[in-house]
Amino acid sequence: MRLLKRSAVCLAVVIAFFPIFWLVSTSFKPIEEWQQFPPVWISSRPTLQNYRIVLAPDAARAFAERQNGAISYKVSGSAWKAFGDSALIACGATLLSVLFGTMAAYSIVRFRTGGDSYPFQFLTVRMFPPIAVVVPMVVLFSMLRLSDSYAGLIVAYTAFTLPFSIWMIRSFIEEVPEELEGAARIYGTPPLAAFLKVTFPLIQGGVLATALFVFILNWSEFLFALTLTTGHVVTVTLQVANYVSASSGKLYGVQAAMGTISTLPVILFGYLIQRHLVRGLSFGAIKR
Amino acid sequence: MLNLAGPVQSSVLTPLEASGRLRGLIPFNVAIALPAQLTVLGVVLVPTVIVVWLSLTDWQPTQGISWYEAEPVWFWNYYDLFHDPRFVAAVLRTLVVVVVCMAVEFMLAMGLALLFLDEWPWRKLAVSIIILPMMVVPVDAANAFFMLFNDRGPINYLISTIVGRPFEFAWLADPNWALLPIMLAEIWQWTPLMFLLVLTGMMNLPENQIRAAYVLGASRTRIFLRIMLPLLTPVIVIALLVRSIETFKIFDPVYILTRGGPGAATETISMFMYNGAFVYFRMGYIAAAALLILVLVAAICTALSRPLQRYQR
Repeated sequence: MRLLKRSAVCLAVVIAFFPIFWLVSTSFKPIEEWQQFPPVWISSRPTLQNYRIVLAPDAARAFAERQNGAISYKVSGSAWKAFGDSALIACGATLLSVLFGTMAAYSIVRFRTGGDSYPFQFLTVRMFPPIAVVVPMVVLFSMLRLSDSYAGLIVAYTAFTLPFSIWMIRSFIEEVPEELEGAARIYGTPPLAAFLKVTFPLIQGGVLATALFVFILNWSEFLFALTLTTGHVVTVTLQVANYVSASSGKLYGVQAAMGTISTLPVILFGYLIQRHLVRGLSFGAIKR
Repeated sequence: MLNLAGPVQSSVLTPLEASGRLRGLIPFNVAIALPAQLTVLGVVLVPTVIVVWLSLTDWQPTQGISWYEAEPVWFWNYYDLFHDPRFVAAVLRTLVVVVVCMAVEFMLAMGLALLFLDEWPWRKLAVSIIILPMMVVPVDAANAFFMLFNDRGPINYLISTIVGRPFEFAWLADPNWALLPIMLAEIWQWTPLMFLLVLTGMMNLPENQIRAAYVLGASRTRIFLRIMLPLLTPVIVIALLVRSIETFKIFDPVYILTRGGPGAATETISMFMYNGAFVYFRMGYIAAAALLILVLVAAICTALSRPLQRYQR
């Protein structure tokens, strides 16, 4: 029985890890081994070529020329712009989302603004398939000159992560007894100051966890980036999908290298907030 | 939808609050909820108004006229949608994906969580590895599955070693099988989340009841069915709810693995709408589809918000 249990766990661990292993392993393979059969598990001639194509513009250009220009122009540029764009958009949207979220959550918890069903109104944002909003958003954004801009994506990301921010931070504020703030209020401290001086220091760990969580969501987002941009703004996820050549299809090794680099920060942040992941992904409903 | 004038507890206005015309007009608690509210309204309500108009037109950006000048076709888009086998198939396919993924994820998560109940060496490390998939950027995960299910990829190699003869099946090019890698990618990525939710719920169960039942001679199966499962119901409901809503929106793996193809064999709702709007540029038609889906989701959510509210506390 115990042996059976152990082997089940081992199997689960292997299955969970294998695709990630494959991604990382492929990122070090030279081009001939990308699609070799039988597959190469770990390359005997590991190369950094794929990473060079991702990170160094001249290596990318040389590679594109060797492929007879069959790679689109976007690919031959380096991924640094994608990292910069993604960092800027994800940070901006995270900041706004957490700021607005904290304010709204405070209002909801301490003043019961809008009654009991009010917070659910924000959840509906998360329930709509984003693609249903994308079509009118493309129209709206082109009117407001927001399409293919940083501001446009930041607004979209902020709105679509607000439900997480509000619900997660709400659950943190709820854990702080109201009496603490009440004591400060008796001495005439205005509510905002009472919140900042009394409650906020107690929940700042939670707010930081929320921020990291929201950052992960923003960094990994694909659909909005795909539909609301036309080439000027390139996020990390777009860049990954861009590594396709006309002659040989997907550039496995390059995609794997880009994938490995882009997933690393997410995994790092994910482990940092492991304790809070459950709370975040269940909208604060399930706590540890 | 909005009821901003809820009970306000701050009856005594401090000088800071009272100062300024704006502060006098809007209560403090409403004012601080406003930025979030306005962002959401701007990104949801305004587009919804536009989508209602678009759904009544046959607008395509390629026509060269602005969307507000488009000729209305009234309800023909909806008529067409209901008679569009591709749309109906996409809706049904999405529901199948949701049901299959939920069932598999739930069973795997439940089984795994039971294995992790008692303490054993390396337990923490095993949990850390098992929850890795949910942290991977979905596009990268989909790419990894694209490589795995390549006709010359490791999955086929594994199958050929088991079967004993060369097996080179193009999973993603076969209309009958292409949905499988997509669902597997989704299941692989999100079973860990379900596992984590269920495990957290199990760890929070009151130990006394379980121990008492054990001492009184109840079998393990009985304890699981009669004590643990009922106590876990709220957690299970929330986990299934959150996951099924997310799975309903499935897009990234479909886009990366097949783009809805071959033909339209793997088109889910999101993929159908993306193809319609950004490949065929039928904005008006897709707006109608979007509105239908919005109404459908809103109806489901209203129906579901009651149980969620009950389990919230």
